[in-house]
Parts: sequence; structure tokens; C-alpha cells
Amino acid sequence: MKNESHGVMLVFAGLNLIFLCCAGGLFFFLIFESYPILKLHGFDFWLGQDWWVGETYGALPMLYGSTLVTALACLLVLPLALAVAIFISEFLTSTSRRFVKAVLELLAGVPGIVYGLLGVSFLSLWIKDIFGLLDGNTLATAGCLLAIMILPTVLTLSEDAMRAVPAEYREIALGLGLSKWQMATGVVLPQALPGIMGAVLLGIGRAMGETIAVMLVVGSLDRIPDPWFNIFSSAQTIPSKLGREAAESIGEGTHWSALMALGLMLFIMVLLINFLGNRCLKGRSIS
Amino acid sequence: MFRVLLILWVAIGVIPFPASADHSPKIQIVGSTTVLPIASRAAERFEKFEKIEKFKSSHRLRILVNAGGSGVGIHSVARGRSDIGMASREISPSERKRFEGSHLKVHTVGVDAVACVISSEVYDAGIRDLTRQEIRDIYLGKIRNWSEVGGPDRKIVVVDKERHRGTRHVFMNFIFGNPTAKTPGTILVTGSNNEEQTKIAQSDSAIGMLSYAWVNDEVRAIGIRDKKNIVKPTRETIRKGDYPIVRNLSFITAGEPNGEVKAFLEYLKSPEGQQVVEESGYIPFT
Amino acid sequence: MSSATFEKGMVFFLSILTLLVSSLLLIILATVFAKGLPALHSGFLIEASEDFGRAGGIFYQLMGTLILMTGAILISLPVALGSVIYQTQYLKSKTGKEICRQSGQVLNATPTILFGLVGYLFFGVYLETGVSWVTGSLILAVMILPTLQVSIREAIEALSDQYKETGMALGLSPWSQIKSIIVPQCYYGIITGVFLGLARAAGETAAIMFAATTFSGIRLPESFSDPVPTLQTHMLVLTQEAANPETLAQAWGAGLVLLSLVFFLTVMAWILRGRLKMEAEL
Repeated sequence: MKNESHGVMLVFAGLNLIFLCCAGGLFFFLIFESYPILKLHGFDFWLGQDWWVGETYGALPMLYGSTLVTALACLLVLPLALAVAIFISEFLTSTSRRFVKAVLELLAGVPGIVYGLLGVSFLSLWIKDIFGLLDGNTLATAGCLLAIMILPTVLTLSEDAMRAVPAEYREIALGLGLSKWQMATGVVLPQALPGIMGAVLLGIGRAMGETIAVMLVVGSLDRIPDPWFNIFSSAQTIPSKLGREAAESIGEGTHWSALMALGLMLFIMVLLINFLGNRCLKGRSIS
Repeated sequence: MFRVLLILWVAIGVIPFPASADHSPKIQIVGSTTVLPIASRAAERFEKFEKIEKFKSSHRLRILVNAGGSGVGIHSVARGRSDIGMASREISPSERKRFEGSHLKVHTVGVDAVACVISSEVYDAGIRDLTRQEIRDIYLGKIRNWSEVGGPDRKIVVVDKERHRGTRHVFMNFIFGNPTAKTPGTILVTGSNNEEQTKIAQSDSAIGMLSYAWVNDEVRAIGIRDKKNIVKPTRETIRKGDYPIVRNLSFITAGEPNGEVKAFLEYLKSPEGQQVVEESGYIPFT
Repeated sequence: MSSATFEKGMVFFLSILTLLVSSLLLIILATVFAKGLPALHSGFLIEASEDFGRAGGIFYQLMGTLILMTGAILISLPVALGSVIYQTQYLKSKTGKEICRQSGQVLNATPTILFGLVGYLFFGVYLETGVSWVTGSLILAVMILPTLQVSIREAIEALSDQYKETGMALGLSPWSQIKSIIVPQCYYGIITGVFLGLARAAGETAAIMFAATTFSGIRLPESFSDPVPTLQTHMLVLTQEAANPETLAQAWGAGLVLLSLVFFLTVMAWILRGRLKMEAEL
């Protein structure tokens, strides 16, 4: 009897170990594969601006593109998410609230390729026409598309953060004669701020990692725009670069190592952001 | 419930087995989007031909064709990840060196031209040809407006291709003398021939490089002007060798092909195969 | 303007925004449907694609997506179940639990393209499963592991302590408890996780595009080493031909099928989650 139990425990422990190895293995693989190029180029890899396969590899345009596109998405999402979260959490009835949450969950599940199609067929052309650009594949397009993609997630988590503020706060505020609006914005919102921060960070994490939708609309030009803040020029992000070039040299060579180094950078950035985000969410968790 | 899962499990594991024991042969072909239409059409016909003529049994030859670009094609056949690599350019010296051990063999099946293409709106506005120098300056970013070369007053949307693409190698080799030239004037980068064609058609002031077979009403080919001579890409100029930007369309194998692969390559070089090449819009090799 | 009017105005404004955001879903659905309509003929779901995907149906692509999903779940479920059971029933150390929690978050947050690249390297090249549906399923399995774990964990933790106490009072070993109490009672939670995992795997493109797919040539896979066509990669290739309206319509049609699949699975998960709550309240 005891042996059987022990054996069973080992099986479960083994399965858990497999799970842990997946997480750790990813990380180690990325490091292992990036090693050659980092040894070769060192810091120049991250600061270099030119990426010519076979000659030199510089990651700066990709890093810049990823950062800008994500920042843009964040900027667009934040006010909207806040506004709608306040409304859902404080002004909506329970049934309507459930309905909207359900809609958000469905939206969050829309595959990236569908967004990619929407981006190519509509967003790209709209941005081109509205801003009179030469071509609609720009950082701005990618930023907008990502904003729409992460909106459901950021919104739903922000709303959760607001709901998590204890009822007492609301009761006291109303008891003091504050209007519902003042209560919502002056009392509940500040309390929920850490949670909302967490939501935004997690949304950023997701935006940084999105490949397919961005690859189709960002322009894939390995260059920092000129001037640097010109969001209406084509550029490149890390996932988009990986998506477009990985097939060329999978498995070996300097080119592959360079791509893996990009992947490593992306991995670390996303993990850090996610870690911070989860920390914020936990920080003020009141069940 | 466990029972249901168990059955599903076994089913998924077992279903491929009967077939794999008597495994249908397959040929994996990867690479250039220019050569891809030839491969796909030929694959379709060859599969039928094989089935009827040769095997008449459950052995169905399957030919998998995938895009990716010439660079991907060469790489994957050299590394044994595909049986045949499609390329619309020569194997570069650095690739030859890298893949020395794979003994790459090139089987040319057709000839294609790379056209310098522009949006139909610019073509209709009068631009019918450009000199090599003008094209070079456009891609270098020195010429930015169509009006500088006699066209409408519009900014030029310079469309480039991914660096490993065969079409780009050939085009850049002609324009710059360097297949991997740097082009600071680029506004947009595309991948496959399809994507480039789409982008140029969608724009009303674009310039790009495209396989001649992809030229259509929205995407017009311009002639190359050299002093007084203008050469437009047509079947005649390509066949005669007058049009300067031509390339071989090839299927590459690692070492000598045998079995199914050999049969397929022979089919491509046969009159039927060459007809496929012509139907796809290219010039037959023989 | 008095502050009351201002506030009323703001609330009204917010309600409009909320309405817009909610209708986003409807807009997306309506667009996909409207654009895909030209391609949706009666045989769309059961015909093979023709002319480089510009005509015909998407049967084999749909099959490919379903095969990848099913394979992913079959591989992922035991690992997810086993690991959560271990973490909740056997693992006592706090550091251990923390490591497990962080690992789950790592897997959940990782950009899917990295799963695709590293996964292909590990499974496809080192373990020599090549570019095949098996490689794809393995990669997707790793990817949806955290999704499954979350639902399973929720279900186990929702189990009232009553069950645990009864089990211990009866002198049952942990394994017996698991076998006869925990797993059967968490049935709905597990299935919810399965559906959510399937929904996530269905839409995933970046993870499988290098490792599992082919654009043409394969109908149904005939062995473990065959790649498959999928809805997602089919759409990707067609999207790059955006100037041709027929091709684009095919892409939209495939998109509609994919979207419907994902929504169906999500709604199923909700229904099951509802059952879970019901059971927990009993």
C-alpha cells in the first residue's frame, strides 16, 4: 500500500518536474543559443543600428520599435480602459456587468491572425488615408492594432481591481455626502490604482509579445525612424523580425544566434513586466 | 470519463500507424515564391501522372510545396529539412561555403525576368522607363519624388524585399552590382512576390521589384533605359537576352537526386513540365 | 454648469464609451462575416482548397487545426493535472510552491513566437520530430499548460474542506483521496480548463508556423512526421495577397470559421464553469 502511494507520488512529482523544466528550459535554451553572437559582438549587438545578414547585427531598431509600439498601445488603452472600468464597476447593474465581462472575455480570445486581417484590410488603409501617408504600414498602425488587442484584458483586470475595493470605502464616501461620481473617481479609483497598474503592465507584456498581427502591419523596416518620434514611418519590432526571418536560418549560424539573442531580450523584458504586473495585482488584493 | 480520454488517446496514436507502415512517399519542396507556382502546378499533374501510370495502388505520392523565399529554400535543402529547395537566384558564395558538405546540385527549369515595377497610376501619368542610375538613386533615397524623373508630383513609395529573397538579389545585383546592397531609401519591406504585388497595387506611387510573371494591370513593368536604348521586359527580349535582369529558376537538391525526387525533376525538364513553366508565365529553359 | 450636470454628463459619456467597447465584438464579428460571405458557399467546410487557396474550401485546413488542438490537449492534460495535484496535495515547502507559481507565470507570459522557435529547435531538431503535427502539438501543449493548470487549481481549491477532512478521517492515503474524491469532484473544472486550453491553442499561429505546417500537398497527415495545413497559416499566406478580393474573401471565410471555433469553445467553457460553481455550492 505504502509503496503504491509512494510510486504514485513520484509520478505526480515527475509530471510537475516536466512542467518546471518547460519553463526553465525555455530560458536556458535562449541563453544557450544567444551565446555565440553575444560573445562575438557583446554590447555592440544591442546598440548597433544595422542589421545586414552575414555582416553585422544590430538590435537597436527592433528594440526601439518594440518599445515605441508598446508605449503607443499603452497610451491609447489607458484612458479608455480607466474610463470604461469605472463605468462598469460603479455604474452598471450586476446583469449588465456580467454581460459586458462576457463580451470582454470573448474579445480577448480573438486570434491574432484575425486582428492581422483586420489590420491589413482596414486599419492600414484608414491610417494611410487619414494622415495622408505614403503607406499605411507604420508604427502607429501597429500601436493602434495592439491597443485594440490588449483592451479587453486591461479593461477586465482594471475592473476587477476596482471591484476589489472593499464596500466600506463606498459606504463611507456616500455617507459623507459625496456623489456617486466623486466616490468613484475620488475614492475607489485611487484605491484600485495598484491593481490598475498591474493590469496595464500585463497588457503591455502581451502587446510586446504579439507577433502575427504586428508582422503584417508594421512595415518590417529595420530602421529607427527619422526623426525618432515619427510614428508614421515603417519600422520593426522583435517578434515581427523573428516571424519574418527565422525560417531562413533555423538552428544554426550567427544569424540564428542573433535572432535568438533578440528573443532572449524579448523574453526577459516581457517576464520583468509581467512579474511587476502580477506583483501590483497581488499587492492590493483584498478578497 | 477516463475511458473516453483513453480511447481518444489511443485513436490519435494509432490512426497514423496503418498508413505509416505502408507509408506514402512524399517530397518536400521549400523556397522561392517565384518558382512556387511551377512547383505547385507540376506537383498536381505529376501526382496524377504517378497515380495513373505508375502505381495504380494506394501508394499516393504527395508533394508538399511551401514558400519562404530562395534563402530559406537553399538553407532547408542543405540541412536536410526538405528534399528540394526552390531558388530564383544563384547560390551565393557564402552559401556555397556554408553548405559545402551538402553538395548542392542545381537543376534549372526555367528563366524569368525581374521587372522594375511601378504603380499603375504613375505608369499612366507617363513614366515608362528609368535609367539604372535613376533607380539606384531612388533606392538610395536621393530621388524622393516622381516629379524628379518626369512623373507626377508625388513622393515615391520605395518598396524593398526581405534580404534573402531571390528576386532582390538579382535586382540589386543589376542596379548596384551587389546582390545584398543597402538601400537607405526604402520605405517598406515586403516578403513574397504576392505581398509585394499587393503593396504596389494598393499604393498609387510605389516602385518595386517583381518577377515578370506577376505584372498586371495595377502593377506595371517599366523599361530600363540606357542612353537612347529602352529595353522593356517581354517574352522576346527575355528570350533573346536583351533584357538585362534575368535569372534562372531552379530546383536544388543535396547531392544527386534519386527515386521520386529524380522522377519529379525529370518530369519538370520534360516537354510536359516545360509547358507548366510556360503556363506559369515564365520562359522554358530548354 | 453645476457639478451635478457635469457628473451626469461624464457618466453619460462613459456609458457611450462602454457601449462602443462592447460593440467592438459585434463589429469584428460582423466584419469577418460580411467579408467572408462571398467565399462561404455550401461546400466551404468540406471541400479542399484550390488554386493556391484562392478558391474552394478549407476542409483540410480545419482538420489540421483540429488535429493540432486535440494533440495538444492530450499531451498537456496529464502534465497539467499531475503537476497541479502534486502542488496541491503533496508539495509542502513554501519555496517549492513559489517556484511552481512563478514557472506558471513564465509560461503564461512568454511570447508565443518563442515557443515556436525554441520548441521547433528542441522537439523538431534535437528530438527529430521534424516539421510535423506532432511537433506542433507538443509546442502547443507546453503553451496551454498554464491555462489548464489555472482551471484545475481553481477547481481543486474550491473543493470544500469537508471532502479533505472526510478523506483523512477515513484514513485514506493521498492517492486514494485523489483517485476517488478530488479528481471526480473536479471533473467540471478540468473540462473547463480543457475547453479554455483548446480555445487558446486554436487561434495560435506564431507557435506553429515554423514547426508544424505546410501550405499545400498534405491532406490528412498519414504519419507522425507529416505537417498539416491549418486555418491560421492559410489565412496568413492569403492575407499577403490582399489586393485580390477573391483571395481575401477566402481568408475572411477561414477567419470566420476560426473565430466561430474559438467562440464555441469559450462558451462551452463558460457553461461548464457554471456547472462547476453549481456543484461547489451544493
